[in-house]
Amino acid sequence: MTTRPPQLETPFSIFHESIFTPNDAFFVRWHLANIPQKIDPDTFRLTIRGRVNHPLSLNLHELKTQFEQMEIAAVCQCAGNSRGFFQPRVPGGQWGNGAMGNAKWKGVRLRDLLQKADMKEDARHVRFDGLDQPVAEATPDFQKSLGLNDALHEEVLVAHSMNGESLPMLNGFPLRLVVPGWFATYWVKMLNDIEVLNEADQNFWTTKAYRLPADPCHCARPGEMLTSTVPTGKMAVRSFITNVENDQTVTGGKVFDIKGIAFDQGYGIDRVLFSMDGGQQWQSTRLGTDYGDFSFRPWEAQFIPETGRSYRLQSLAINRIGESQRFSPRWNPSGYLRNAIETVTIHAI
Amino acid sequence: MRVSFFLSVWLLVTIIFCGQVVAKNPEEILTFKLPSDPISFQPAPGSQLANNYCLICHSAEYIYMQPPHPRELWTEIVHKMKESFGCPIPDEQISPLVDYLLSQNSIQISPPTHSVQSEAPEIIADQPQSFPGDPRNGKVLYERHCPTCHGAGGKGDGLIGQSLVPPAANLTLLREKSDTSILDTIRNGRPGTAMPSWKDYLNHSELNDLLSYIRTLSP
Repeated sequence: MTTRPPQLETPFSIFHESIFTPNDAFFVRWHLANIPQKIDPDTFRLTIRGRVNHPLSLNLHELKTQFEQMEIAAVCQCAGNSRGFFQPRVPGGQWGNGAMGNAKWKGVRLRDLLQKADMKEDARHVRFDGLDQPVAEATPDFQKSLGLNDALHEEVLVAHSMNGESLPMLNGFPLRLVVPGWFATYWVKMLNDIEVLNEADQNFWTTKAYRLPADPCHCARPGEMLTSTVPTGKMAVRSFITNVENDQTVTGGKVFDIKGIAFDQGYGIDRVLFSMDGGQQWQSTRLGTDYGDFSFRPWEAQFIPETGRSYRLQSLAINRIGESQRFSPRWNPSGYLRNAIETVTIHAI
Repeated sequence: MRVSFFLSVWLLVTIIFCGQVVAKNPEEILTFKLPSDPISFQPAPGSQLANNYCLICHSAEYIYMQPPHPRELWTEIVHKMKESFGCPIPDEQISPLVDYLLSQNSIQISPPTHSVQSEAPEIIADQPQSFPGDPRNGKVLYERHCPTCHGAGGKGDGLIGQSLVPPAANLTLLREKSDTSILDTIRNGRPGTAMPSWKDYLNHSELNDLLSYIRTLSP
């Protein structure tokens, strides 16, 4: 999408080819253009400092041998995924639906690292910084923070591997914070510094950027001044049909398989419904292999299209706490958190 | 490992990123190369402002992918770039920059398909001082396009030169550089830096004029 800083969208057909998004097709989004183009794994250190009794400086070998290794399948999705579909249109990176990916992330629990560093009693927040730097001095360095409770969740990892391989440089070699269920903005790449704070982080990227309207819908009217905002945090339930493209023609009169994916913020997918008439009638679908609550969940359905007719195909996912996708798209000025039902039109011939 | 993404996104622009990773062996240093900007701001009144300020932090693609925005929104965006992200644009230049951004909004442009070599057939020798130009005209061009970063005397000490990472090049230290190499940098920009490509702004004789003037900056 942009060359500097690098932003790359996963071609949508990839989601049909594999439930785990290959490393060399996984979407990429950097905020700052000054990214190290050379990293020496032998001299790299991850520091853990701030409100701790035992600050740590760990090399990659120590990280891989002195802590329990965990692996989790989890979706990493940009808060602005699908921004290009907002109506009225909004400024920002004009992503289609490919600012997301699903991978098996392997690394150590953040909580084990924090435990080893022995946090002081007044620890409240944890801030993450990577090796990327601003081009201009006056630009705020990219950092993100989590409240202590969120940081201590057992699935939050400092990952060194992605789908069984070292992280690619473009996706954060040598370490990336993995925060399953949360939008990708928290998944700090080239992570080299973890700072425990005793108060809320005042950094620009936490207090000013990635904000949503504070109302429960996180919706705004175009042109409206936002009086109250909250940070973008966890994802919302979504589903996609992955094996057909818009305006594709299919053979009428015989069974046609519809395949897709669904995911949410980590409660897991309860069911996915499928409609061939733009949402007037819904039928159930079969869920595929469960790779864990934070992963893409495959689903499939069948129908027999009649020759000469067009069909507006839709899918609707419902998670295990009963939340569904939105029937009408929400709108907010930054184009975040789209989770409306998507439509693909096909023609039977 | 070769990292290549084939993207067909909104602009139907295909970008190929070639990240060359030297080795997967953990004992060795990993490197990769980021590509240079594939498109430039189209020459028009105000494009110089976009080159001077927008390209510090991001490529021109950011502008050309935007859907139509009204003037108020572009003004808000430029203010955000200045106030939140530290863009060093003076207040009086904001309105002319917004005029330019509006003029470019939703224009479809594609990366050039021709190669650098084919548009510069006269460059054959890689030796110093091989392309005589007019340094007087070069000075005019320099003063129009270059001092924001490189400074009036070429020392890299312009308004924003030293705040860039890496800092703007000191043009008084180019004695050992060949004409070919300097022309290549001006024409195509420098990957990984804020130096943009000027090939859409300067023709061959202007490039040579600018080169001749830059040669006078070295002691």
